[in-house]
Amino acid sequence: MSATASSAANNPKDNHLLAALSGDSLAALLPYLEGVQLPLGMVVYESGGAQRYVYFPTSSIVSLLYVLANGSSAEIAVTGNEGLVGISLFMGGETTPSRAVVQSAGWGYRLRGEVLRKEFESGGALQHLLLRYTQALITQMTQTAVCNRHHAVDQQLCRWLLLSLDRLPGDELVRREGVTEAAGKLQAEGLIRYSRGHIKVLDRKQLEARVCECYGVVKKEYDRLLPEIGTRLH
Amino acid sequence: MRARRNPKQNHLLAALPAADLIRLAPQLEPVPLPLGAVIYESGGEQGHVYFPTSGIVSLLYVMNDGAAAEIAVVGNEGMVGISLFMGGGTTPSRAVVQSVGRAYRLDAAQIKVEFARGGALQRLLLRYTQALITQMTQTAVCNRHHQLEQQLCRWLLLSLDRLPSSELVMTQQLIANMLGVRREGVTEAAGRLQADGLISYRRGRINVLDRAKLEERVCECYGVVRRESDRLFASHAAIAA
Repeated sequence: MSATASSAANNPKDNHLLAALSGDSLAALLPYLEGVQLPLGMVVYESGGAQRYVYFPTSSIVSLLYVLANGSSAEIAVTGNEGLVGISLFMGGETTPSRAVVQSAGWGYRLRGEVLRKEFESGGALQHLLLRYTQALITQMTQTAVCNRHHAVDQQLCRWLLLSLDRLPGDELVRREGVTEAAGKLQAEGLIRYSRGHIKVLDRKQLEARVCECYGVVKKEYDRLLPEIGTRLH
Repeated sequence: MRARRNPKQNHLLAALPAADLIRLAPQLEPVPLPLGAVIYESGGEQGHVYFPTSGIVSLLYVMNDGAAAEIAVVGNEGMVGISLFMGGGTTPSRAVVQSVGRAYRLDAAQIKVEFARGGALQRLLLRYTQALITQMTQTAVCNRHHQLEQQLCRWLLLSLDRLPSSELVMTQQLIANMLGVRREGVTEAAGRLQADGLISYRRGRINVLDRAKLEERVCECYGVVRRESDRLFASHAAIAA
């Protein structure tokens, strides 16, 4: 499936979290789920900014990042078809210091925050699923902290690529950035190919051999916490 | 000396409506937090949640090669064991007592029952978890972008916020383990802070002499974490409502 599927092909069940909901829970949300295009660079929510919607990507990647005072960005975590963007809406904070930006263009669904919160507050399976998802997300974030401290830049890039691929329906990312030195190295070694904003993974096995343990830790936790979802295996 | 039972020394417990705390009190078991005690191991069963009243617990990840990186610190502002209500039951990180103290602990089954009530305690715990997330994500940012000296300042300030005085008892090796760097780096960074009159560091005791200067020297990461904490717990009434 192409990374930029048309709106006709967009389906809520292409988001694994939505697909894991019980019939009743999904029925409650369905009337309020709006299919949306998530273009590259779109700011889903700003640091400290009001968040009116939660987003469920189906064929896109949203990055959670922190913008430093000097303007550079530090990526914290990625979310794609395995999850949702906007946990502070049910965790109670309502805003967060981080920013959410679309890093790989595609599609998704959005849902008004108060609709999700109402379902969340009724307790039950949906609440438990969202909390387990949040715990998995926390593991991804903490592993980023560890990785940033101990591992080389090219291993960090491998981790981002693999985590993103696990959260997309295809084997391609649609990203704008210029080719960094680390990415150039991976390309020179035949692991990936950059072409007009598209990154295609050529040798997944090699990426998995190159990456540090951090990728495995995160993947294991998501698989353990969300067995009904299961990230895509190659 | 026997300490008087006072769960309200933990700020989360203090923020509960009176009726809720009265109900919980008989189940809150006072326990010591000895230095170096492992509260839970990576992937290990967790029998209780802990609400520290003093001391500091470090959440850290230990890699295959033994190198560690601290992810967050918890003191009397928070609690240890979020995976018990978040549903995971275990986590890949480890929780270790980094500064001696005491805590109230609540049985795993009990915290689940209390959480499931959906009232003030649930809201409080979720909000605290969000504050913890900010601390963790800011550590990620800091580890990538900032100098060791600033990271040391951040670590000192976050620890100080959780201690009753301006003194920390900590070896340089231990700090190096927490920050995930070599001891020589800590010695150098601490030496500079000492030379500039911000701290005095002698025989494992760090005294912060000029907190204001420390807050100037630290990177933005400390402020982000502090402001979020303050914002999320600005009014106890807002949470209990």
